[in-house]
Amino acid sequence: MKKRTLVKIQPYVWLLPSVILMVTMILIPIISVFKISFSEVGRSGIVRGLNGVQNYLEIFEEPVFWHTLQNTIIWTVVVVGVSTVFGFVLAMVLNQEFHGRKFVRAVVIFPWATALVIQSVIWKYIINADYGSLNVLLKKIGLIDAFVNWTKTAGSMFAWECWVGIFVTFPFVTFCVLSGLQSIDIALYESAAVDGANFWQKLFKITLPLVAPSLTVSTVLNIIYVFNSFPIVWTISKGAPADQTHTLVTYLYQLSFTDGKGGHAAAVSVIGFVILAICASIYMILSLRGEEES
Amino acid sequence: MKKKVLSVFLAAAMVASLAVGCGNSGGGDSDSGSGESGGDSSEGVTLDVIISQYGNYTQDWWKEFEKTFEEANEGIDLNIEIVSWNDIYSVVNTRISSNEQPDILNISGFADYVLDDLLMPAEDYVSSDLKANFIPSFWESNEMDGTVWALPILASCRSLFCNVDLLKEAGIENPPATWDEVLTACKAVKDKFGSEIVPWGLDISTDEGQAAFSYYTWNFGGGYVDNSGEWALNSEENVKAVEYIKSLIDEGYCNSAPFTDTRYPLQDAFSAGTLAMMIGPMNMVAADSEVNYVAADLPGEKTALGVCDQLMVFKDEEAGDARTEAITKFFDAFYECETYSNYMVYEGFLPATQDSSDNLAANAEKYTVGGSDATGDSEYFKTFCAVLPNCKFYPMQKAEWMDVRNGVIDVEQQVCNGTIGAKEALDKLQDSVAK
Repeated sequence: MKKRTLVKIQPYVWLLPSVILMVTMILIPIISVFKISFSEVGRSGIVRGLNGVQNYLEIFEEPVFWHTLQNTIIWTVVVVGVSTVFGFVLAMVLNQEFHGRKFVRAVVIFPWATALVIQSVIWKYIINADYGSLNVLLKKIGLIDAFVNWTKTAGSMFAWECWVGIFVTFPFVTFCVLSGLQSIDIALYESAAVDGANFWQKLFKITLPLVAPSLTVSTVLNIIYVFNSFPIVWTISKGAPADQTHTLVTYLYQLSFTDGKGGHAAAVSVIGFVILAICASIYMILSLRGEEES
Repeated sequence: MKKKVLSVFLAAAMVASLAVGCGNSGGGDSDSGSGESGGDSSEGVTLDVIISQYGNYTQDWWKEFEKTFEEANEGIDLNIEIVSWNDIYSVVNTRISSNEQPDILNISGFADYVLDDLLMPAEDYVSSDLKANFIPSFWESNEMDGTVWALPILASCRSLFCNVDLLKEAGIENPPATWDEVLTACKAVKDKFGSEIVPWGLDISTDEGQAAFSYYTWNFGGGYVDNSGEWALNSEENVKAVEYIKSLIDEGYCNSAPFTDTRYPLQDAFSAGTLAMMIGPMNMVAADSEVNYVAADLPGEKTALGVCDQLMVFKDEEAGDARTEAITKFFDAFYECETYSNYMVYEGFLPATQDSSDNLAANAEKYTVGGSDATGDSEYFKTFCAVLPNCKFYPMQKAEWMDVRNGVIDVEQQVCNGTIGAKEALDKLQDSVAK
């Protein structure tokens, strides 16, 4: 009886360290952030007491918040969307037999494997108008006569940040899709060829349905990664000019650590949390429904 | 199924990370009481001190100071922590929110701590001799509601730096003395060198955009406050100054990314000879630079910006007189003429005390610069120490300062980006501050 009880509780004992870790490192800080978002926080970090939804109301009154929210949606959709399309096409290419394929695959992983801050700093120097290598290169090959200011407006600055986001994100999609492509039985394509299917028919009837699970995983994970991404925007522009290039994460960082508005930062954090929780819930529902259907 | 459960779990964990990321910015209870420092005089006193990192060798100097001080003051244990400027505000705020504030803090700005009733008045721990020794303008710059809350630790002032050779080649003989002459000089440099040389360095980034606002508004006759000390951000002079900044950008006289370029790459460009003019701190030119330069008065009203960081003492209601005595001894030892002069040369700043100013103006060569064999330059201290009492400082003693600081940077960026006019932007800022 005693032995049976021990066997019964053993899995929970093994799980306990992980549970403790998750509660202390994730759950308690989340609860703390929720509490702070409903509190008045002084610039010196002192929590002066609950103030209801005041922080949220003040945040909603700020035009910068709404612009930042809009930026965040554009940032996430553009970076994830373009990375997914580009990564998918590249995976199709890398799935073909050609000389030097292994080398190309190794090179493709670099942008993803390098630290985001390093990538961002490099790109910041590449596009700098006064001494950036892009201008130097274009001038040397005669495409421009004078140096071009690539980040003159907030829009152009944000577009460059999106490009850097795409550059560091597409390798992940490529390798997710590539793993899906490699698991497709070649006999399916051979049968389709015998039946007279063209490239597009094979793509839409065989390839896409079979790599859909890989694409779903990479897309959902990328939505979360990209939505939460901090280093690119912060390193390149810090939200400048005039807070026009912020995403929610850089905005809340600025509120908290530059402006000394801890309560507002916590409120923005909670809003971002809710948005992502909704996205993740949709994914979970779709994922579990797909599992039931299969 | 297992994989899906795993991916769902991972997704949930990463979503959670967004909220967790902000978790260290607050929390704890609202007591503004003491940390664990202080203590019974019979068992000795421990002072927790946080010092800002001014250079690569700050730690070494303070280590030596700690050793010397502890040897001379038995029973007082100094616990000195050097924190970089990038982290110091979040480190201090986290410490305060967890009720572990230091006894002594070196930082820039004190009004927020005063508003939260965290600081001790300076007169409670400064000896009368030391008080008399501070240069009056520095001592008074830390006054809020009639009480001095912090001590000036060091200062620097900003000048207009001009590359003499580049200006001469462009046909400009003297540094510009008016804002119109600045435009003339910029045009001459641009016409002569094209895109190879940037005529004018401008930093209106979130890093130090408030400094740019000060340079231009003060020297157009405006500023942050009026004669009665009330906020006057939308004065006519300020509007002109901000429009002038925009014109510098529109004419193509500035570095291409003034919204994100901090003064550090600009200083590097000036030291490398690719930037003709910029306003910067007195120690901005690299030691190995071969640029032939001159540091001139700012154009217009010739008002220099003085930057002054502070030392302040946090309250500890439970600690007794022993703690206050230890703190007084700490400041007496730090501001002692030889020690303080040594630190000023070591870090490359200007002193806030009268005896050190006199000493360095005559004997700076006695002291060495941190991390090198170079010695101080008496002539340099003589020149800049004479300018310092006339410098203007940020109105840090006003409770709204941080909002104003961030607000003027926003104004500069919005106006220069063309999203709003200077008058409208400054009116909005004035309204929001006056609310």
